[in-house]
Formats: sequence, structure tokens, C-alpha cells
Amino acid sequence: MPILSEFEYFKPSSVREAVRLLSKYKKPAVLAGGTDLINNLKEEIDQPDAVIDIKGIKELGGITYKNRVLTIGAAVTFSELLDSRVIQSRFPVIAEVAKTVGSVGIRNRATMAGNICSAVACADSGPLLAAYEALMLVHGPKGKRRALAAKWFKGNKRTDIKKAELVTAIEIPLPARRHAGCYVKLGRYSGEDLAQASVLILALPGKQYRVALGAVSPVPVRASKIERLLNGQDLSDQLIAKCQALIPGLISPITDIRATKEYRVHMCQVMFARGIRAAASRFSGNGPEYGVNLI
Amino acid sequence: MSELKFVGHDEIRIDGKPKITGAAQFVDDLDFGPGLLYAEIVESPLAHAEIKSIDTGKAEQMPDVVKVVTGKDFPFRFGLYMHDRFVFAQDRVRFVGEQVAAVIARDPVTAKKAAKLVKVRYHELPAILNVEDALKPHPLLIHPDLKSYKHVPWFFPQVNTNIAHWRKVRKGDVEAGFKQADLVFEDTYTVPRYAHCAIETHGAVGHHDYSGRLTVWAASQSPFTQRNLFAEALAPLGLSHKDVRVIAPFVGGGFGGKAGVSMEILAAALATAVQGNPVKILWSRAQEFYNTYQRQGLTAKTKIGVKKDGTIVALEQTLHWDAGAYVEYGANVVNAAGLSATGPYRIPNVKIDSCCVYTNLPPGGPYRGFGYSEFLFGLESHINETAKKLGLDPVEFRRRNAIQEGDPLTYGSKMNPSGLIECIDKAAEAIEWSKKEPSENPKTVRGKGFACFWKAPAMPPNASSTAFIKFNEDGSLNVLVSAMEIGQGFQTVMAQIAAEVLTVPLSKIRVELPDTDRNPYEWQTVASHITWGTGNAVKRAAEDCREQILELVERALGKKREDFYLESETVRSRSEADFALPLRDFAINGIMMKDGTYRGGPIVGRGMFMPEFSSALSDAETSQGGKPNVHYTVGAAAVEIEIDKETGRLRIPRVALAVDVGKAINPGLVRNQVVGGLVQGIATALYEDMRFDAKGRLLNPNFTDYKIPTAMDVPERVIPILVEVAQPDGPYGARGVGEHTMIPAAPMIANAVENALGIRIKSMPITAEKIALAIKHKR
Amino acid sequence: MKKKLSFVLNDRKITLEVEAQDVLLEVLRDKLGVKSPKCGCDRGDCGSCTVMISGKTVRSCMVLAVEADGQRLTTLEGLMKEGQLTPLQQSFLEHNSFQCGFCAPGVILAATELLERNPKPSGDEIKEAISGNLCRCTGYLPIVEAIANVNNALTPPGRERLGKKVRS
Repeated sequence: MPILSEFEYFKPSSVREAVRLLSKYKKPAVLAGGTDLINNLKEEIDQPDAVIDIKGIKELGGITYKNRVLTIGAAVTFSELLDSRVIQSRFPVIAEVAKTVGSVGIRNRATMAGNICSAVACADSGPLLAAYEALMLVHGPKGKRRALAAKWFKGNKRTDIKKAELVTAIEIPLPARRHAGCYVKLGRYSGEDLAQASVLILALPGKQYRVALGAVSPVPVRASKIERLLNGQDLSDQLIAKCQALIPGLISPITDIRATKEYRVHMCQVMFARGIRAAASRFSGNGPEYGVNLI
Repeated sequence: MSELKFVGHDEIRIDGKPKITGAAQFVDDLDFGPGLLYAEIVESPLAHAEIKSIDTGKAEQMPDVVKVVTGKDFPFRFGLYMHDRFVFAQDRVRFVGEQVAAVIARDPVTAKKAAKLVKVRYHELPAILNVEDALKPHPLLIHPDLKSYKHVPWFFPQVNTNIAHWRKVRKGDVEAGFKQADLVFEDTYTVPRYAHCAIETHGAVGHHDYSGRLTVWAASQSPFTQRNLFAEALAPLGLSHKDVRVIAPFVGGGFGGKAGVSMEILAAALATAVQGNPVKILWSRAQEFYNTYQRQGLTAKTKIGVKKDGTIVALEQTLHWDAGAYVEYGANVVNAAGLSATGPYRIPNVKIDSCCVYTNLPPGGPYRGFGYSEFLFGLESHINETAKKLGLDPVEFRRRNAIQEGDPLTYGSKMNPSGLIECIDKAAEAIEWSKKEPSENPKTVRGKGFACFWKAPAMPPNASSTAFIKFNEDGSLNVLVSAMEIGQGFQTVMAQIAAEVLTVPLSKIRVELPDTDRNPYEWQTVASHITWGTGNAVKRAAEDCREQILELVERALGKKREDFYLESETVRSRSEADFALPLRDFAINGIMMKDGTYRGGPIVGRGMFMPEFSSALSDAETSQGGKPNVHYTVGAAAVEIEIDKETGRLRIPRVALAVDVGKAINPGLVRNQVVGGLVQGIATALYEDMRFDAKGRLLNPNFTDYKIPTAMDVPERVIPILVEVAQPDGPYGARGVGEHTMIPAAPMIANAVENALGIRIKSMPITAEKIALAIKHKR
Repeated sequence: MKKKLSFVLNDRKITLEVEAQDVLLEVLRDKLGVKSPKCGCDRGDCGSCTVMISGKTVRSCMVLAVEADGQRLTTLEGLMKEGQLTPLQQSFLEHNSFQCGFCAPGVILAATELLERNPKPSGDEIKEAISGNLCRCTGYLPIVEAIANVNNALTPPGRERLGKKVRS
């Protein structure tokens, strides 16, 4: 299918140049992996006047870990996240999330930054970054700023990004000296799928937890109510059941061709129960291997 | 008879190398030079509407637009079994996506842009989106002119209704049968529409040259049938059959969807609008979903009467098919299913009503299984429930009622040789049917399911196959047939047959793709009949070559032909051990005599096969007296599942399928059909799910939301079992298999779910969501 | 906007002028005559358009042609040196892995990428690596078997073995 619209194409080599171009054009689109944008161009959902390819900006291509902050450049692909030693050793749940995104051919191009900029409700990165209290590093004509994940997602496909701004990195602070996590994602079968519901849990020292849910509201939901119940407690069937009972009140899933509201709510409860046990046992050193599908 | 050297062996596919090197060309890979034009279709956004006006002015004015055509340029009906379709909608549209006009331009971008400029005004009509509405008394008629449609003699359209065809089967006396029964049990099963999803979309290129020849290159299962329909439909333009040529390159999957004529007629018609230039039309994936044949939906009401000991005495089936806006092909699915909706069982009293109902949804048509998967879901589910009510083992129940050779079929004639009992026993054994294996995981539960299946090729009584075999100077062969290589591997099977008769190795045999100018006639590559039909034709052609060879040797050398035989590409003598005349020495050149003259010449064999015992004539009210089906292929399948009770997700540790193929000419290729068919069938049971909105628009015309299996979705172990009870009129005893391996999948899964959970799910797909919520609500 | 590109395709240097909105798949097929990558869905869902950029598989229907500038591209045609089949291709041939063949180029590239990273993958690793390549014909098991047997890894349990292997 050809793309009907015409646009300018640029591949700047610096953030500054990219921001300048974003300011210059009325409807610019940023191109990283292209797995969302190219489809939108074909279906005429996006009709930009310029496409700014950020893959030529060297500083956007790295994964660094410094001062207990993991910085993922905007041009880093999901495959690179999977291959990263520091992620495998220190933030294994990020790799667990990355593995569920599409398939190899998609992951070799798609970026986490692109995922959180498209901000579709089912984005896998959403609950991940909500739970980690990550920050988006944003460069614009007025300089740079950091946006907390909780403030970043404004609605389905809406973010806090302003005109001519460019997300240059995602910063994930290490939440504790040691932590474990679990990502459970609901699909219709075993192959690649967009999440119909997702749960991301972090297990921290002192029986502290962070719980986030994705694809069941316009934005990722940080389930603080559930965390308050959990924190400091031993996990028991009753405690988990109490948490499960809170879930319907925290989310607003829709019924669409992928799943009904009822099933999504039900599965959030199931996924929460399995996810929290997995995260807790991984923290204790005897949990299932990261990447094992719990549902 | 000595051991077979080629037939019955796992030969490497002769089309393997082109496919793994990228050399294999599909229709979109062909180049047509700078003169190639591109067509874009203007489609109806409404499910049912009158076309008030079409304004093509703006589109025509766009630079690089060559022509814009609408229905009035092609007011020709066409259809395979019934002429109810037009090339472009005429006075009204009948489904969302139906083609209303086309723009032909010098490049695809212009064609697409110009298509948007074509303005169509519609007067919307109420849309009929389900069978129930279509069958209401005094309904809105989707085809008011039904009475005037030409159709094959075995169709019975009901004028002034939306019933395009009603197949009635009446055998024995069902009411009496139900009275005799110890248990009478009725239930309803629903099966929605499904999509073929071949990875290659439909596409065709048409070229009407200045000499008046029309050539169409199409991704097609049916080049000769297409030629016939094009020639018939375009006859008013002065074309005759000899002037129409259809060339079919490799096809990227058919599954029935590329049979008959659907969008290919656009290439033929549009070519005549721009004489001199080839014009290409390629379907997008979305169009592939909503504007090609779909597998029809079915609501089946099944009533069975059985004795305490499990003998079936009566069966009543009321089958209502959601057949879509045009049924020129789909009505035969309804017909075929109607004749066989008893399943492979011996039942003395049968009443079947199989109704083909028009709806304002995409046209239904041929899909692997041709109606059998659809009705078998209900029937095999119902049989399980019946066995359960009687306290009988479901496998034993089936064995007791299994149809055997010589038993009467629903329409009177007799069942062919079949190894159904052997299939049942072997499938059951393969998954250790009697062994209860409870789950070790408290969150899961295990179950086993079983289903029998059968299918006969649904063909007109005179469906034929022909073959030519040419020798070359080096003793190699070209086999010319018009069957299509759609992936099943038939070319290799034909080569094996020719090799067996002529003792030429496979490495020296080519089987050519169809070109209707050059390759002889084949009805269609459908119905799982190619190994049987074309195989017979190729065998006869090879035997014809052998006859010519032996006759020539006798004539040239003055010795009795009975003395000679072929071995390793050489003519050998039974009486003279030293005699060896290589085929290559004379297969083109003839045999030189002592005086320098030659005898013989190029060896060219001809073979034709058409069954002469098949007839579609039968009683219109009872279907008795005909012989519409050449033979049935039977089998049985068994599956072991494990269900996660919280998520509803199902995994398949083991599935077995036994099928009686008569003779497996290439056993490996048959096993491949078992794997491929089961995976496709299991997907229809578990997650393929077509969704329409309230206005008849397909909501998921893409792989993002219509999920087909990936490599991660296959069962853990697949056990193909080949049974061989020879088909007397098949080449080396072979019978067809291709569609069959998909047919038992859905009911087998439904039965396993019931076995595991005690929950009977009577509608497809049986998704994880359906199972999880059913378990939840049961509590 | 016209752009001049220069890249390496199957070890050959190519220079080409394209429009910014030209998609890589169409440029490969229609401008350069490289037909092995196919258009199956145009949305990145089916994998039949797969090509390699710097040895990594990508969906060429989701890549603008301009993004190929300065890159090293490989398609199925480029895997064969002087027409010689790779051991992987030979294994596919001997296992009769493919049926219609439409998905084959994409699968072969995905499997090539896998074997380069992991010469002895498990059955699950193979299935995951090719899970982005849709095949409607085979049910995948003969494909998985062929990949597993290239470097004599253990044949994964899957389909009962093919019967004796083939001859040509």
C-alpha cells in the first residue's frame, strides 16, 4: 500500500537540530522504529508535513546506568533492551516486558520511547514506567524538562508532550538496593498480541510493593490502594483476595472486539494474584524464571 | 507385482527449491513492463442500498487516470453454479465493500487518490444481517430477481424468499424412527463465519491486446473454470474461449478462497476497458477479509433418536446457512453439506433440510471442508452428548454406528471401501483414550475429546482432469496438467506417479504450472480430488507413453511387446538379459533401422479421467436416486487438552488424527496436511473470531484482530496416522485428503472441554474468555 | 521530497532516488526487482515482508525507503553465495518444510538470524523466533524440525518423524 501523503524527511544528527525542525514545521512527526508511524501514514491517520528521523542522533541510542538511574535513549529498540546486560541483571522485569512486545522483527525496530509517545491504552511500557515512577526526559525549544510517568499519560493516545518537544530518554530510578518484578499480559492466544489487560508488579525490600495495571483504563493505573493493603504484610490468600476485590473499583475497562469488560476485570484479578506471588518469590530468590508466561 | 519404487515414498518436493530460494513467482512478482496500469476499486460503505448515481467526472480529470468504469460498463451476470453476481454492482449494493466502480491509472498512488474522488449516491435500504431476519415472513428480498437466475439443475431456489437453494434429504421415515427410539434429543449449534487468511492476497493482471486476445494472470485455484466464466461473461464483447488465456503462477495458499471466480473477473473486465495495456488489481489484506469468499455461518438444529444400546435410528438436521450477498459458489457448499450431514454413520431414517439464505454480508463460498467442518461441529458435539445421556463411551458409540463399505448413504447409493473403524481405533489408542490422566496442577483440569469425520469431493458429475506427458532428448519429462500447486505438493505426487510408470527418476521430471493455452483441461483444484482425478489422468498419460514405447519397440525390432518392460529409464527384455535400450535414445529421435530409416518419433502421452458414474439428478424432494459424490474419505481424531480454570486458556499436549487415504503416494506430504489442517482447525475452535458491527461492516479485517496461529500456538505433539484401505478407482488406490484434516478439530475440542469441565459450549469460537466466564458462572 | 539514497543490498552497492514517502518493501520489489520479500498484510503483522538491516530482521512494509540510506540490507537472495544453498535452506528442502512457499523468505531470514545468535536453539526458542512469521499452510512443525536439525540439535518433540528421509 503506498503512502498517499507527501512530506519532508530529515535525519538530524543532534537533539538541537531535531528540536529546531520540530519547531519549524506545523505538523511534524517523529520517526524512531516506525512500527506505529508508518502504519498511521498508510491509513492516513497521520498526515505530517515533515518526518524527523531521530535514529541519526547518537546520544539517543544508548542504555546507561549511573547513580542508580537507568537511562534508556529514545532510539533504543526493544531488542536492545533484551540484550542489555545491566537490564538483565538489575531490572529483569524490563526484559520481561520487552519480550512480550510483538515479535523479533518488530522489536528490532520498535522503541520504548515510541511506545510511550503513542500512548495507546494497551501500551506495554505504560504500567512498567508507572510502577517504576520513571521520568521522561524531554527536550524542547525552551530547554529540557523531566515529566513523571504519572503525569505523562493524559488519556488514550494523549501525553504531556508540548509542541516541538522531543522525548530524548526514559529515566528509571532503581527503586531499592534489590528488587524483583513480574509482568503479566493478557492476549487472545500465545502469539503476539496487544494487551487486553496487563499487570506490572514490583517487589521491594520490607515487603513493599508497587502495582500498576495497563490496558484497562485510558492511562496506566497505579494501584496505590492495593499497595497500602499489601505493604509490610505477608502474602496470604486472604490478603490477595482483599486486593483482588479492590481491582474493579480502580479500573475502567471497555468491551470491544478483543475482550469483554467482565473478562478483563476477571483476568486482572487472576493476573494480580499470580503476578504478586511470582514477584514476591522472585524477590526471595526462588520464583519462576523471568519470561515464563504465568497465564 | 514388484515393490513400488516411487509411489509410497517420502520424496522431496520438486517445487521445494524454487520456494526456498525465492525463485518461485507469485502473481504480484510478475513484471509487465512500463505499460502496466493499476486499478483501484470504489467500494460500497453500506450493506444494502440502491445506487442512485455515480459521478466519475473529477476522477476522470485527474492526470494519469486512464479510465473510470462502473457497473453500466459491464452489465454481465456470472457465477459458477448460479448466475447471481455482477462484475460491478448494478442497481444496488448488497454488502459493505462490494465493488461499485474502478479507477485505472498509470500508478497505484494516482489510482488510489482518484478513487476517492468518485462520488456515489446511495439510497440506503434496511440491511439483513442474520438468517433469522432473512427468513421472516414477507421479508425484504435481497435478490428480487432470483427467479430469473440461471443455475445448475440440482439447485432449488425458493422464489419470493431469501432462500437461494434448499436441499432436502428424506430417507426412510424419521417420525417412525423417533417413535422407535429409546431416547430422542435435540439441540442447536452455531458456527460463525471464518476467513481463509492465505498469506498471499488475491491478485490478477488482465491484458486485452490489440489482436483481441485476453490473457489473465491470476493467483487462482481454477484457471480453466476462470477461463470459462470470463469467456461466458464477456461473450457480449466478442470473446470466445480460444481467445481467452489464463495463466496461474504459484499460489500462496488457497484453502478454497482462490477457487471459482471472485475478484479475478475484475482483471478480465478492466483489461477490456483499456485495450492494449495490462492492468493489475491486487487486493489489500483488508479487502481479502471482506471482499473475497468467507466460510459461511451456520445455525444447526439437530435431533437424534437412539436405542438404549447406542444404535442411531433417526436423525433430523435443520441447517440454516448465512450465505451472504451472492451465493453462486456458496450454494453448493450448502448442497454438499446437506447431502452428507449425517456424518460417517449408518442411519436408516434421515431428514435433512439445508437452506442457503441470502444476507447482506460478504459472499460465502468454498473454504477447506466445504460445509463439513460447519455441520460436523454440531453433529459430533451432539453425538457426544447423546452417548453421555446413554452412559456409553463416546468412542464406542461411534464405532457401533460407523458406516462401512456397502452401507447405504443418505441419498441411496453405497459407501465406498473405508477404514473408519481402523481410524477410530488408532486415533483413540494414540492418545490413550481410556486412560484418565488427572491434572497435577490444582489450577488446571484435563480432558479428552474425540470426533469422526468424512468428506466427499463436491463436484459436478462431469468434473474432469487431463494430462499430457512429453519426453525430452535426455529422457526427462514435462508433465502438463492444469491442477494448481497451492502448497499441497500435488506436483510431486504427479511426478511420483509418472516416475513409477515410466521409471524416470523425480530429478528428471517437471510438472508445469497451468497455462490454458498449453496445458490441458482441469476442472478446478478443489475438493481434495487432484491426487485422485489428476493422478488418474497422469497415470493414464504415463501408461499411454509406455504403450507407445512398447508398441514402437515391437514394431521396430520385430519382437513381441510382452517380452519388454521398463526399468531405470531403459527398455529391458525378459528373455534377453543383455537387452537395454535407453529411453533417451529414441524418445525424441525414434529408432533407426538398418537401412537408415527411422521408426517412431517424439513420445507424447495423453491421459484423461472423468468419472462416468456420477450423477446430480435425484428426486427434488428427497434427494434419493442420485450419485452426487464419487467417494468419501473418512477418519477420526482425538485430542487431549489441559484447561487453566481461572484463565480459560487451553493447551494441547497431544492430538492425533487418523485418515484413510487409500494409498499415501507421498506419506510425508499427507502427514504435513494433517499438521497444517489440525492447526487451522484448532484455531477456528479457539480464537479466530470474525466481528461485524450493527451495519454489517467487518470490524477486524486484519491480523491484529483476526488472529491466526503463530508458531507458538501449535499443539505440543501431533500424531498423524495414515490408514490405507484402497480406493478401487484411485491411482495406486489413492483417495483424496487435504480438506479433511481440518474438519474434526472444532467438535473434538468442544468434546474435550465438556469432558474436562462438564460444560457444553455450543457456539464457536470456544475462546478462553468463553470458557473462563462459563466456569465462573457455573460456580 | 526526493531523496538520494546509497546503501548496500546483498553485498552490492546501490544508489537510488526515492520520494520520502516511498516504503522500503515497494522500492525493493518494484524499483530494484527484488521479489523475495512479499506483501501479506501491509501492517507488520505477518512477517512475509521481512528483510535484514545489519543482520537484524525488520518488517520492510513498516520502513521508509529513506531509512535504508547508509545501511547494509540483506534479503533471501543475498544469503546464497554463488547460488549455493545455505545449510538451513538445505534442511528446509530435505524436511519438505514449506507448502505454498509464500512465507518462506521471511521465515528463512528469521531462522538465519536466530541461528547466528543461537546455533542450537530449543524447540521453544525456535517457535518464539519465527512467531512473527505467519504461515497458514504448514502448522509450523516441519519448519521447526528443519531449523532444529541444521546443527544437529535435538529434534523437538512435535510431529512424529517424517518417515525415512528423502532422496532426489
